[in-house]
Amino acid sequence: MSSDQRAHLLDAMRPKYVGAPIKRTEDPRLLTGKGDYTADRKPDRPLHLAFLRSGQPHARIAGIDISAAQAAPGVVAVLAADDIADDFKPVIPFSRMPNYYATPIVPLACKKVRYVGEAVVAVIATSRYLAEDALELIEVDYEPLRPIARAEMAVADGAPLLHEEAGTNVLIAREFKKGNVAADLKAAAVRVSGRFEMTRKAPLAMEPRSCCAEYDKRRDAITLYTSSNIPGIVRDAISESLNLPGHRLRVVAPDVGGSFGSKGSLYPEELLICIAARKLRRSIKWTADRLEDVSSSSQAFAEVVDAEMGFDANGVATSLEADVIGDVGAFSIYPWTCGLEPVQVVSFLPGPYKIASYRGSVRGVATCKPPTGPYRGVGRPISTFVTERLMDLGARALGIDPLEIRRRNLVRAEEFPYRIASGIIWDKTGFVECLDAAAETAGYDALRKQQAEARKQGRLFGIGIASYAELTGIGSRISAAPGMPINTGSETAKITIDSTGSITAAFGVASHGQGLETTLAQIVSDDLGARFEDVRVVQGDSDEVPMSTGTYASRSAVLGGGAAKHASKLLQEKIKRVASHLLEANADDIEVHDGNAVVLGTDRAVSFKQIAKAVYSDMKTLPVEAREELSASYTYDPINGTTAAATHIAAVEVDPATCFVKILKFVVAEDCGRIINPMIVDGQVHGGVAQGIGAALFEELIYDDDGQLLSASLVDYVIPSAPEVPLMDVVHVESESAVAGGFRGMGEGGTIGAPAAIANAIADALSPLDIDVSILPMTPERIFRLIEQAKLKAKGQADD
Amino acid sequence: MKPAKFEYVLPSTVGAAVAALVASKGEGKVLAGGQSLLPLLNFRMARPAVLVDLNAISGLSYIEERSDRIAIGALTRHRELEQSPLIAAKLPVMAAAMRHVAHLAIRNRGTIGGSLSHADPAAELPMLSVFYDATISVQGPDGRRTIAAEEFFVDALTNCLEPEEIVVEIEFPILQHDGWAFEEVARRFGDFALASIAVSVRPGPAGLKEARVALMGVADTPLRLREAEQELIAMELDNRTPQRFSEIVVSKVSPNDDLHASGEYRKHLLAQLSKRALQTALAAKG
Repeated sequence: MSSDQRAHLLDAMRPKYVGAPIKRTEDPRLLTGKGDYTADRKPDRPLHLAFLRSGQPHARIAGIDISAAQAAPGVVAVLAADDIADDFKPVIPFSRMPNYYATPIVPLACKKVRYVGEAVVAVIATSRYLAEDALELIEVDYEPLRPIARAEMAVADGAPLLHEEAGTNVLIAREFKKGNVAADLKAAAVRVSGRFEMTRKAPLAMEPRSCCAEYDKRRDAITLYTSSNIPGIVRDAISESLNLPGHRLRVVAPDVGGSFGSKGSLYPEELLICIAARKLRRSIKWTADRLEDVSSSSQAFAEVVDAEMGFDANGVATSLEADVIGDVGAFSIYPWTCGLEPVQVVSFLPGPYKIASYRGSVRGVATCKPPTGPYRGVGRPISTFVTERLMDLGARALGIDPLEIRRRNLVRAEEFPYRIASGIIWDKTGFVECLDAAAETAGYDALRKQQAEARKQGRLFGIGIASYAELTGIGSRISAAPGMPINTGSETAKITIDSTGSITAAFGVASHGQGLETTLAQIVSDDLGARFEDVRVVQGDSDEVPMSTGTYASRSAVLGGGAAKHASKLLQEKIKRVASHLLEANADDIEVHDGNAVVLGTDRAVSFKQIAKAVYSDMKTLPVEAREELSASYTYDPINGTTAAATHIAAVEVDPATCFVKILKFVVAEDCGRIINPMIVDGQVHGGVAQGIGAALFEELIYDDDGQLLSASLVDYVIPSAPEVPLMDVVHVESESAVAGGFRGMGEGGTIGAPAAIANAIADALSPLDIDVSILPMTPERIFRLIEQAKLKAKGQADD
Repeated sequence: MKPAKFEYVLPSTVGAAVAALVASKGEGKVLAGGQSLLPLLNFRMARPAVLVDLNAISGLSYIEERSDRIAIGALTRHRELEQSPLIAAKLPVMAAAMRHVAHLAIRNRGTIGGSLSHADPAAELPMLSVFYDATISVQGPDGRRTIAAEEFFVDALTNCLEPEEIVVEIEFPILQHDGWAFEEVARRFGDFALASIAVSVRPGPAGLKEARVALMGVADTPLRLREAEQELIAMELDNRTPQRFSEIVVSKVSPNDDLHASGEYRKHLLAQLSKRALQTALAAKG
């Protein structure tokens, strides 16, 4: 081979699409109103469903009178728990975890209601208007029980039980231990501690949850369109619950307008709509309104963490102890269980740091609220908030700069793979590199000088740092949720070249805004040697691959991308074999790029279209045994998964007149391995940070002591809008991971780092007033109270 | 979240609209911009039997100068007030406040008659009508009558209209002032005010000859602080005046706690805004 040829080969092998800022294939349709969402489905003469939801936080259902509703105009059916009792088996969110009680999931409240918003009766009518009219005619006779509105009420002596069969309101309890924390804390030069809280939050996707069960009379089959990011899991669960085999149940997640975790669990509504469609032999539609979505979709956080960290005199964190209580709501969710969020808090508390000894205990407690579930970042927003606050408190106590104390504690490049005290193993990632890159981009030293100047003028200017690491793209060796029996460790790609030479790449992953149609096509184009525009990505459809669990836990680039790479390579081998016949060359001398198979160093080439014609249509060109179907399928399992990490730096100013926080600067330096599409990575970071700002400053679901949701509308549930989100700088530390393609998952990091960085910045800003930040969101009201208390305290000290 | 059934009428004159309200026997509701009413209908918190849509009535949308007053038709959209050169020249406090009214899409639909009738205590136009001493013309079965703005707002979300009456016009006297300021704090730009104040002043030979002060977001209705105005006029002007003024303003209100802010925090905000507003107004008077 001449050197010219070698150069040519390397050029052809260089990724052409992976790494390129290709505009998202999805965007033209989504941005011009041509998206096809579940609510856009138009099955033949559909019926419409509306739910009567509980207005009681905790009550026994003594009776339900549906007779007037049944007689109302347009009403086809009214269903309560008794009417569907024989139509399903409860879905059990099973786990092998000890000290865990799996609350059964049923479509409609049975015998009692456990939160305001729980579905009690379903009305199916010829229009949603008529269905809602009929809801008003239903009489439910509730016998109120004492509500359990707060976690501390649930564990108090003599508290009423939400699930009597469980015998306790503590649905999950666990403890992680390593080393002798008590001794290490005792020996520490400095101990810092606090009681930290992140209040309950709504994931709040722009598209509310929506289902459309399309009934096929000919086959007694259902296609459930659902705004879900786990259509495969929903298919398997409904199939089992309704005893409806997979060939008569297809679950499709069409265009989905965001999830952030709220569409990542099985919902009672999905069971109910399939039961009703089957019973009535009709297609049925339901879309949650905003009130239903906020009050019945899975929620986030709601944890209080008592934590203490010990440092030696050099600022090395030696020990960490934490007790977590999670207010998990009324039910355990399927398949993740109610342990998902709170257990992940204790799993990740040591973070990216080499803390030698650790004890983390957690209790997940049932209350009269909607279940908590996956939310972008799962557990890590609060574990990072706690650990990063403790790092700053330690730095302050020891007189060490916050940047420096992190540098002394982060796992360093030569120390990977590193097992942290909670047992998680970090593979090689740029922890320190992210810290340094963020500090450099933020102009950290200059920021500190700016702060000194601002303080001279009496301004409240603060800088906050947060470093974190997360596990992404996890394989079969690690369970996505603790002790969960379903396999979340693999994904399948099936790539086919049809008789026109076009390529369809089918996946079970389910994009709900991440741009997987673009990024997976980029990977397939490179690894198959195709033109990007010839590749169509099909995803979110349970019929496309035998088994899939969907898109969550920052897994789709790693697992879907890995499967795409392997399947592409297998298919490329087939192309080469066919081309070797057509070009009369050795398969090893053929390279495939831009939709052509080319004999190395020559201009002899055949296009995919010609190859497809030779294989499928033209019966003379190829010998029969060479007519291989141009299709390849591969199921990829990264076994362990890979780490992703970042450092966020925020600079803020608190206005003492309004008590508002203004974010002056926000920098993210992140390591997501090899970047598939830098525009999409930046977009994920921007969106994640915007949500993190929501968690840090704005968003809070407020329940009163009777378990009533007070902030159920977007007037009262305040989310950041464009003016509240600052411009941000995003820097990429692209250290390749060990998984196929060198990718790492990166969809969640923004929400993990931002709340902690902003909390530290506010604490830094308020430190001249001796104010600590231990609860998020830091609303103007909370800042006002803290400043008032600080004034009183200062006055008291002055008076003394 | 669908409204309960209602009958919809689209009259082409105010008289026909009033007749439709009379015919509804107290079960009618007027639809103007719909920015507050439609959510109430969808939540089924409002369940009118008849919805009387004013949008086909011509001649209800205008901004006119009439010697010492500006007359505004009830169907005039917020966006028109925001962009009107006449408003900017003659009612500068209104011009400054209009950009705080919700968001662009809402300003494109919302009307002044609708906003006043809805009587939200944290909305700008009710507060401006009180600040300017506006006169609200309403038409009912017995013809027209006028109501002073301060009489119009009875309670939170409650006005003094009879069920068959419709707001048709609002007249704003052109204020002779030399310095003025409008200050508002909301969680996000465009949200309902947590606290807000409008101030205008006219200097006299010593101190101030006239002063005007109105608040919103701190009580069940917008407030005109006539006592505080007199106290301000009585004050000698020095560099402590804004602080003393802010203490007077805060002493006049006792806002309630709600989801967004405690009464104490609202008072804190009001104190800050009052000080700032008076400083601005005094600086502008030259």
